[in-house]
Amino acid sequence: MLNNILYKNQDKKQLIIAMVGAFMGITFLVTSIHYLIKVNQFGKGADILGPNTIIVQKKVTNSSSLNLTKTDFSPREIEKIKAESFIEDVKPVVSNNFDVSFQTDDPLVPYFRSDVFIQTVDQDFLDVKSVKWKWKKGDEFVPMILPRDFLVMLNTFMSASGIPQISDDLAMDIKFKFRLRDPNNSDREEHVNGRIIGFTNEVASILVPKTFMRYGNETYASTTESKITQIMISGKESEFGLVEDLLNKRGLESKNSQMVVGRLKSVVGTLFLVVLGISVIAVFVSGLVLIQYLQLLLSRNAYEVRTLLRLGYPPKKLVNSFSYYFIKIFGLVAAIGLGIFFVFKIFLDEMFESGGLYIGTDVAWLAVFALALAYALFALASYLNARKGIFNEY
Amino acid sequence: MPTPLASIEHGSISIWGSQVELKAGERILLNASSGKGKSTFTFTSIGLRKDYSGQITYDGKDVRTFTPDDWTNIRQIKISVVFQDLQLFPNLSVKDNLKVKNELQHVFTEEQLKDKLAILGIADKWEQKCRLLSMGQQQRVAIIRALCQPFEWLILDEPFSHLDKANAEIALKMIDDRCNTLNAGFVLTSLGDDYGYKYTRELNL
Repeated sequence: MLNNILYKNQDKKQLIIAMVGAFMGITFLVTSIHYLIKVNQFGKGADILGPNTIIVQKKVTNSSSLNLTKTDFSPREIEKIKAESFIEDVKPVVSNNFDVSFQTDDPLVPYFRSDVFIQTVDQDFLDVKSVKWKWKKGDEFVPMILPRDFLVMLNTFMSASGIPQISDDLAMDIKFKFRLRDPNNSDREEHVNGRIIGFTNEVASILVPKTFMRYGNETYASTTESKITQIMISGKESEFGLVEDLLNKRGLESKNSQMVVGRLKSVVGTLFLVVLGISVIAVFVSGLVLIQYLQLLLSRNAYEVRTLLRLGYPPKKLVNSFSYYFIKIFGLVAAIGLGIFFVFKIFLDEMFESGGLYIGTDVAWLAVFALALAYALFALASYLNARKGIFNEY
Repeated sequence: MPTPLASIEHGSISIWGSQVELKAGERILLNASSGKGKSTFTFTSIGLRKDYSGQITYDGKDVRTFTPDDWTNIRQIKISVVFQDLQLFPNLSVKDNLKVKNELQHVFTEEQLKDKLAILGIADKWEQKCRLLSMGQQQRVAIIRALCQPFEWLILDEPFSHLDKANAEIALKMIDDRCNTLNAGFVLTSLGDDYGYKYTRELNL
């Protein structure tokens, strides 16, 4: 009966316009948030380093070769880089100041030994669980992350020895051994077991936990002075262009593949950020138009509302009727928008894949949460406006 | 005293500026010429106007302290009203206009509503839109609608202004019967006509 009185005689043109606007806004909102997340996640898990992380060093020039300019980073330089708004974090890459050699220590694998260069980076930059990435003296083995090239080299050696090559998983089961030695006193040496926990394409040295590096440097290094020639930079999402500018400005360089991925993510991410901004405005404006329509409906029905109140209808019942009516409309629009997003997703996922951008195909729930948030805000605005309108007639 | 009426000179027998108590079950004729505040009396009685000086109490409580929920309760089960401008929904049928009120307390069945329309001579208008009825027919619909709830008081603001004497008396008889059933009273505002009814007392504005 209330529906007959309050909603039967209305000019639905404005309502339909607002619904179309809201539908488009919602579809683009969910789509842009979903792909923004997916693009930013691109690369995560593919490497043991975080997806927005690059290792940089100073460009080696003729003057640095002649020792006229420094190639190491001072603490002040690191702090300056860290202070930039688009930089999430900066940490030094610490290297060994003692002799290290690396050898196989497994009866199933032929003996292989090489002098190596080890480095350590902060745990925050690594995509490994903290329980795996720790070491203290007396532990059974040192966890290490190897450059993938090292595995290729090992496999070449295995192949040459007539032994089957090994996969990543198999390599992680092989026992290795580090030999730590004082470069000035060859009698001072120690053997420590090691095990591979992952591989990286981005670092050319063997990565070990900080505690192991500190132990080696404190126990076997001839000098306590440790020069920082490389740093790890973690940039904020979609601001890779600024990171790149900073590198150029400060004469720094990074591995090209890291730069390409960062640049690509930054461009696509920025694009979706723009779409997201437009979508937020569209949802906001269409929400406003719907609320304005609610107010218009209330003012057109002022006589009906007043009469119902005079007859003894509870104001809360009328408030609920108006707010539910608009919540249902927005719900319908949101459901259609979400449905269209899933259709869009099929095409866009295919488009990204054929373009070589292998992003995850599962739904980014934050996008659905954003829709739920927009819905909740609209429901609240509807309720408050309906309440104000009804009680004005009381 | 209603604020808009404060500048008008009221006679010594006017309830404005005096203390008046309406006792349960009384049948009161409220006589006044135009512009003396008959509708204002109706509106202030059910909390639609608050622009007055003095105090109005209901069951000993100052009505200024009533919340919207209190007024909703009063309008549903304590005071029913026939407004001078009727306050019908013109685009709804007679049936729906009656049902919209009856649905609140489920007082009458559809058959009982049709019987009442028949008594007032408009049984054939059941499905007719109210805007298509004459003023007299609309007044009769508004009277039946006001009876579709339990009440302690029925306030009728010039309810027979468009009815002939015979129809007014039939309507008044229906009102009287309903008040007897509910042990309720009524206040009927009029421009001077008493419609041949024996009231408990007469008040003036």
